[in-house]
Amino acid sequence: MNKMFAVFKREYIQAVRKKMFIIMTFLMPFLMVLLFMLPSVMMSRGMGTKKVAVLDGTGQLREPFTTAPQKKDADDSEVGGRGNDLTAKMDVEYVDARDQKLDQAEKPYLDRLRQEKGATKLDGVFLVPPDAMTATDAKFRYYSRSATDFITQERLASRANHAVEQNRLVKHGINPADVEQLTTDLKVDSVQLSKSGEQKKGGAANFIIGFMLTGLLIIPSFVYGLEIMRGIVQEKTDRVVEVLVSSMSASELLIGKILGVAAVGLTQISVWFIMAALLGTFGATTAALAGENVMQLIRPMTFVYFAVFFLLAYLTYVCIYAIGGAICNTEKEAQQLIGPFSIIMMLPWFLMVAIITNPDSNLSVAFSLAPVWGPLTMYVRTLVAEPPLWHVALSILISIATISFFFWITAKIFRVGILSYGKRPTVPELWRWLKVA
Amino acid sequence: MADILAVRDVRKTFGDVRAVDGVSFTVRRGTITGLLGRNGAGKTTTIRMITGIFMPDSGDIQWLGEAASGGAYRDRIGYLPEERGLYKQMKLVELLLFLAEIKGIRATPAVRKKIDYWLERFELTEKRDAKVEELSKGNQQKIQLIGTLLHDPELIILDEQQSGLDPVNMVLVRNLLRDLRNEGKTILLSTHMMGEAERMADEIILIHRGQVVLEGTLDEVRAGFGKNTLHIDFDGDGTFLSTLPQVKHASIVNNAAELSLVEGADPQEILQAAIGTLRIRRFELAAPSLEEIFIDKVGTETLTSTETVPSGVVR
Repeated sequence: MNKMFAVFKREYIQAVRKKMFIIMTFLMPFLMVLLFMLPSVMMSRGMGTKKVAVLDGTGQLREPFTTAPQKKDADDSEVGGRGNDLTAKMDVEYVDARDQKLDQAEKPYLDRLRQEKGATKLDGVFLVPPDAMTATDAKFRYYSRSATDFITQERLASRANHAVEQNRLVKHGINPADVEQLTTDLKVDSVQLSKSGEQKKGGAANFIIGFMLTGLLIIPSFVYGLEIMRGIVQEKTDRVVEVLVSSMSASELLIGKILGVAAVGLTQISVWFIMAALLGTFGATTAALAGENVMQLIRPMTFVYFAVFFLLAYLTYVCIYAIGGAICNTEKEAQQLIGPFSIIMMLPWFLMVAIITNPDSNLSVAFSLAPVWGPLTMYVRTLVAEPPLWHVALSILISIATISFFFWITAKIFRVGILSYGKRPTVPELWRWLKVA
Repeated sequence: MADILAVRDVRKTFGDVRAVDGVSFTVRRGTITGLLGRNGAGKTTTIRMITGIFMPDSGDIQWLGEAASGGAYRDRIGYLPEERGLYKQMKLVELLLFLAEIKGIRATPAVRKKIDYWLERFELTEKRDAKVEELSKGNQQKIQLIGTLLHDPELIILDEQQSGLDPVNMVLVRNLLRDLRNEGKTILLSTHMMGEAERMADEIILIHRGQVVLEGTLDEVRAGFGKNTLHIDFDGDGTFLSTLPQVKHASIVNNAAELSLVEGADPQEILQAAIGTLRIRRFELAAPSLEEIFIDKVGTETLTSTETVPSGVVR
C-alpha cells in the first residue's frame, strides 16, 4: 500500500510539474473556445465578399437584388439553419437581360468567372430565366467555381424565390403594400421541455457549449493516455522497471501509476471548474444580453456528471494506452499500435452532431450504454436532454465493469510485457500472456 | 554461518527455451558469493526469480530457511539489475527517496541523512541538487548503487555491477562491497568476468545452460582442480608452447603463457622444451585461474550468444 502510494505520489508530482500540464490546464479552455469560434468567424470574415453577377431574364428583379434591405438579409437565416453566422457579404452585379438570349448573354460573365484575378473577376453567375414569373417548371441556374458553394447559391435562390413569389401574388391582384407583410417569414424560438415541466430556451449557443464541454471531457483522456503510454515505454527503455517490479507487484505498480495520472486529470478539471465559476457569471450575463439562455447547460448536475464521466472515460482510455505501452518497446511503435484503437474510441466524437441533435435516438442510446463509448455519449445525453436515470446508472455500471475488465487484462499483460524487451508479441503470444501471467 | 538464501531445484521455461533447468544453491550469510556463467547461462533469470519478478515454474526459494512465497522478503534485498536505469527527469534526492519508499522506507530526516552520507562517500555531494540526466553515466551508476543500499538490505544482489565504471570507481565499489561484507551483509555478485569474481568472491556458483556445474569456496574449487596450470613468462616466440603434447589448453598473451596440462603430464618436460628456444623469466606451477576452470568446465564454445529474455515470455 505504501509502495503504491510512493508510485502514485511520484507520478502525480512529476506530471503536475511538467510544462505540458500547465499548458493543458490554463490554455485548453481557451483553445476550445477558439476552436469553435474560429470557423464561424472565418466563415463570416475570412470568406470575404462574394462577387456575383445576376442575369435577370425577366428584368423585374432589380430591386430585390440591388436594394436588398438589411432586414431581408436576416431572413436569409433560413439558409442552412445556421443563419447569421454564415453571412458572407455578397456584391451583386445586376444585369437586366430582358430581351437577350440568356445563353448568349451569359458568355462574357462566364469568362469572367474563369478569370484568375483582376477587378472584373466573378465568384458566381446566377441566371433567372425569362419565364420565371409564369412557368412553374422554370429553373434558376447558378455557375460557380466550386461545386460546394451552396451557401451563396441558397441565398441567391432564396432571394429570387421571395421576389418571384411576391411578384406572382401582385399579379393575382393582391395589394403590393400588403405583399411584403404577408410573405414575411417568422423566426423560431427553440424551447426544451424537461420532464419536470420546466421550459427552457435553447439555441445555437447551447449546441456550441455542448461541443466544448464534450471536448474538455475527452481530450485530456487522450493526452494523458498518451502520456501514461509514453511513461511506461520510457520506464522500459530507461530500464527503471526492473527495480520497480523487484520491489512491488506489477498490479501495485499499475494501480499507483493509473491513479496518479487520474489525480492529475482531476486536478486539471478542478482548476477548470474554478475558472468556469469565475468566468461563469460574466459569461452568462453576456450571453443573456445576447438573448441566449446558456444557463440551461450550466447547472450543478452538469458538473457532477462531468466529473463522473470524465473519470470513467479517463480510466477506460488510460488502461487501453497502458496496454499499448506494456506491449511495445518504442514510443513510435506504441503510437502506431494504438492509433487505430484511438480512432475506434473516438467514434462518438465523430458522431457528435448526430448525438447532440438526437440525444434520445436508438443510436445515441446504444452508444451511451456501450463499453468504452459510454461515458462520452452518456455525458452528451445528460447535457442536452434528460435521459432516464436508469440509463445513466446502467451506463456508469457498464463503464465500471469495463474498467475493471481492462484493468485485469492490463495488469496481466503489464506483468509480462514490461520485462520483455524483445520484439512485439503476436496476438497468440499475447493470449498466452493472459492465460498464464 | 547460516544460509541466508537457498535456491532449490528451480526451473523456468520461456516458450521453448529452458532458461533455468533445476538450479540449486545456497548463499551463506556474510559472504560475497559469485554467480558465474556465460551470457545466457541463466544467471539473470535465476536472480529475477530470487527477487520475485518471475515465479519459478517449479522448485522454491527459501529465505533464512523458510519457503518464501510471493517475495515477502523482497524489502530485505537490494537489487542492482544488469539493465539499469533511473528516472532521468528527477532530481537526485527525490529519486533516492522514491527508491527508498518503494522498499517500504518512509522519507524521514534519518533517511535524508543517510542519502547525504552515501553521496559524500561516493563523492557526489556537489551534485546533490542536480537532475539525474545531468550526471555522467558512471555517476548515474553510483546513484543507482546508493538506491540499492538505502534501505539497509541484508542481501545485496548485483548483476554485472562493474559494467560502465571507470577503474577508479571500480576500486571504490570493490572496497565498498568488501566493507559491506565485513559489516555482515551478504552479497551475491552475478558476473561473467572471471577476474572480478576471483578478486571479490568467497564462494562461487558456476551456472551453465541453466544448471549449476560447480559450487564451493574459491579455494575448494581450485584445490579440486589440482596444481596443473603452468605460468611461464618468457622472451621470444612462444607460440609453439600451445602445440606441445602435454598441453591441453593454452592462452598466450604477449610474453606470458598460461598452460593447462593434460593429466599426468610432467611440467619438467615443458621446461626442457621451452628452455632451448625461449629466455624464461618465470616458471610457476599453480592452481588454475577461475577463467581456466571455467573454460575447462563449460568448454570453449563460441562466446557469442547473448542473454535476452525472448519475447512472448511465458511463465
